[in-house]
Amino acid sequence: MRSNVKRTLQVFAVLLLGVGVFFLYLDKAFPRVRCEGAHLSVPEKYADCVSCHAKSTARATQDWKESKHGAMLVKCVVCHGEPDGKGSIPFSANPDPATICARCHDPAMQRMAAKFGGSADCNTCHPRHQNPLHSDAYQHKAPSGKTSF
Amino acid sequence: MTVSRREFLIGSAAALALGMVGSAPRAAAAGKKESVDRWVKGVCRYCGTGCGVLVGVRGDRAVAVKGDPNNHNAGLLCLKGAMLIPVIYAGDRITEPMIRRGGKGSPLTKVSWDEALDFAADAFRKALDAGGPDAVAYYGSGQAPTEESYLANKIWKAGFRTNNVDGNPRLCMASAVAGYLTTFGKDEPMGTYNDMDTATCFFIIGSNTSEAHPVLFRRIAQRKENSPDVKIIVADPRRTNTSRIADLHMSFIAGTDLALLNGMAHVIIREELDNPRFYGRYVNFVTNDGKPCAFEDYKAFLAEYTPEKVQEITGVPAADVIRAAKFFAESSSTLSLWCMGINQRTRGVWANNLIHNLHLLTGQIGRPGASPLSLTGQPNACGGVRDTGSLAHLLPAGRMVANEKHRAEMEEFWGVPKGTIQPKIGHHTVALFEAMAKGTVRAVFIHCTNPAHTLPDLNALTKGLETAFVAQTECFMDAETLKYADVVFPAAFWCETDGVCGCTERRYALTEQAIKPMGNCRPTVQILMDFAERAGVDPKLFPYRTAADIWEEWRTLSKGSPYDFYGMTRARLKRESGIKWPCPAEDHPGTNLRYVRGEDPLVPANHPDRLFFYGRPDGRANIFLRPHQPPFEPADKEYPFVLTTGRVIDHWHTATMTGKVPELQKAYPSAFVEINPDDAKKLGVSNGDRVVLETRRDKMTFPARITDTCMPGLVFCPFFDKNKLVNRLFHHAVDNTSKEPEYKICATKVYKQA
Repeated sequence: MRSNVKRTLQVFAVLLLGVGVFFLYLDKAFPRVRCEGAHLSVPEKYADCVSCHAKSTARATQDWKESKHGAMLVKCVVCHGEPDGKGSIPFSANPDPATICARCHDPAMQRMAAKFGGSADCNTCHPRHQNPLHSDAYQHKAPSGKTSF
Repeated sequence: MTVSRREFLIGSAAALALGMVGSAPRAAAAGKKESVDRWVKGVCRYCGTGCGVLVGVRGDRAVAVKGDPNNHNAGLLCLKGAMLIPVIYAGDRITEPMIRRGGKGSPLTKVSWDEALDFAADAFRKALDAGGPDAVAYYGSGQAPTEESYLANKIWKAGFRTNNVDGNPRLCMASAVAGYLTTFGKDEPMGTYNDMDTATCFFIIGSNTSEAHPVLFRRIAQRKENSPDVKIIVADPRRTNTSRIADLHMSFIAGTDLALLNGMAHVIIREELDNPRFYGRYVNFVTNDGKPCAFEDYKAFLAEYTPEKVQEITGVPAADVIRAAKFFAESSSTLSLWCMGINQRTRGVWANNLIHNLHLLTGQIGRPGASPLSLTGQPNACGGVRDTGSLAHLLPAGRMVANEKHRAEMEEFWGVPKGTIQPKIGHHTVALFEAMAKGTVRAVFIHCTNPAHTLPDLNALTKGLETAFVAQTECFMDAETLKYADVVFPAAFWCETDGVCGCTERRYALTEQAIKPMGNCRPTVQILMDFAERAGVDPKLFPYRTAADIWEEWRTLSKGSPYDFYGMTRARLKRESGIKWPCPAEDHPGTNLRYVRGEDPLVPANHPDRLFFYGRPDGRANIFLRPHQPPFEPADKEYPFVLTTGRVIDHWHTATMTGKVPELQKAYPSAFVEINPDDAKKLGVSNGDRVVLETRRDKMTFPARITDTCMPGLVFCPFFDKNKLVNRLFHHAVDNTSKEPEYKICATKVYKQA
């Protein structure tokens, strides 16, 4: 009886090891996110994140398009990196603000830190993708709905 | 075999850990902060915006780039600038000298520096013996640091004694230079980027600022965001991303911009929005053939450019022409910005003059925010080539080859016998490559540029490269011109050497050496001096040890000239993030408003007028009566579409650099053709279909991109793709004055590939 349990455990351990090695192989051999798999026949679209994400994450895509980054053509890969992990910027669905935002906004981040003591996460006050061009200006110009008297 | 429960658990954990370990480095990399030993100051390698960068160095490697907070870009970079590091360590960097022993078509072989330099020098000496000084030439670049262009100009004009010195700025900025020269008497703009923070109207014509100069576009958008009443007019046959922030977009038929600009002037005068007090004091009116005339003549000349007539010619609604003119003239300060859409035209100089006309007619000049500011395409076309006079007709600091006094001044300064510099103007770019094909120019030194990709009418002009001996400095193996090079010198790349660049706004900034040159690469100034000495040029002409020595000479030469930057010592350039000339003394802060009393140190403090256009003999600028003229090859029945070219944000020039950055390369791996949906419907073309563009020179196939960016009748192809050299389709007609080719317009057939 005891030997049967041992035997089962042995088989199970070997199986588990096999599964681990298998996943290690998968991880090494294939990119984490295989966007190009969606349009293998059109290599021109490998990095055209927007055409797919307009459907898969419509809200984020629309927010980006209307944001300053969208208007300035600061594309997805600039902050997120290449999904296959083979680019010059490490791929991350949630880029670390201290590294990624600082690439362009370091002086502003330092000013903010001096003024407000800084924050570990820029996105707390500046939600990701949601910084529309003219937003403040239009808010100032928008009618308040109140009468002057 | 027995396995305890403990052993089993350990085994399982190990297996899982093994599975996880593969992903660990990625997770760590994603969250890892870039630690660097030191940050080294420089200027971005790419466009003419001239953004300040800081290169992060760890050990002996560059590992990061970030924006310089003290430069005009205030720490911001575009996506290209932010991803410069992979370019330095690209797998195809050329790190050894190479020669083609068996002549054109034979393979390049790695050799020693001595052998490569002797090989090139021998060929140049033979060419000089056979054809005299004009049998050799230098073809330079607006990307080379100032010291390199200044040195090459000196070696060729005073050493080899030929004025066959030209470069790729001829292909992009020559019309802007001639525009400034003819209107104001001196090259380079009077305004700066600071004007973008105060302008209340932007007139952007022939420029896709959003993609070609993204950091400047962000500054304009910021201005609009801060003050929504600021008006932005974008005039461009394509409705590009730049138009996203526009109040008025005018899609004119390509090649009709001269009529549009005259139409705006017509409305300004008709609506009495002109400024007679300004032009009465500061302006001369000049006919198209250079004769003086009066304001009434100008008014009569403009009479035919009614908004209705302009609508007929340009396709822009008359109401929009009126709106644009009113925006321009009624604003408190209007800033015009233009780029290749205006310059790369057979009437590019005239188009430049007409933009200046609008500013002079309305007095929108010489005040913060009011200025005609020509955008440049390369990081050092202004400082390196225009200012040092490294073109066939120029000498340093605004001097001209054809002017005997100017030649004598340079001969004295360079310490060469009188008569050394030839009075004959050298070959401009197109003529140079034609002369190479004919065999009159037998050897050329090409530095830091890729003409086999960028010249117009490539099938015709690359014959010159097939015929002449070509010595080339190049960093990357995939440059198209390498196919024709007889000897290749591996030059140190950006930030592997030091040098000064001068950007659009007259700002000179130093890129300091951050890392050692890769492999066997050498700084170009060293290559030029070693080569010239072996080719028989007296080494006394270049007694320099470093680029800093050359800068010192050039700085001294500028003293007292209209390009005075004597105050920019190397030490000061190391301390500061760029300084704008004129800057005559070390304690001078640099100049924002050129030609303005109290701002420009070259205008006497007691000058009676606020503005003084000191480049003109009488101190007055010119308003020219330039009529509308069609492009060299408009669309016709046989070739019914207009083909135009340009940039995409992800790539720069011939993509030998941006092509090495995976993110940028994957964003646009290859060229495409933009077609308007209406045209696509008529042609039966869908997105992604293979479409043939056939011009009178050649035909090529591109994948179609159906978009309303292009107006009907217009198709667009980017020019970065080395596998689809779209310039093969273009003619090589040039502007009469600037000799700049018309890359923006040629007639083409468009049809779906069978």
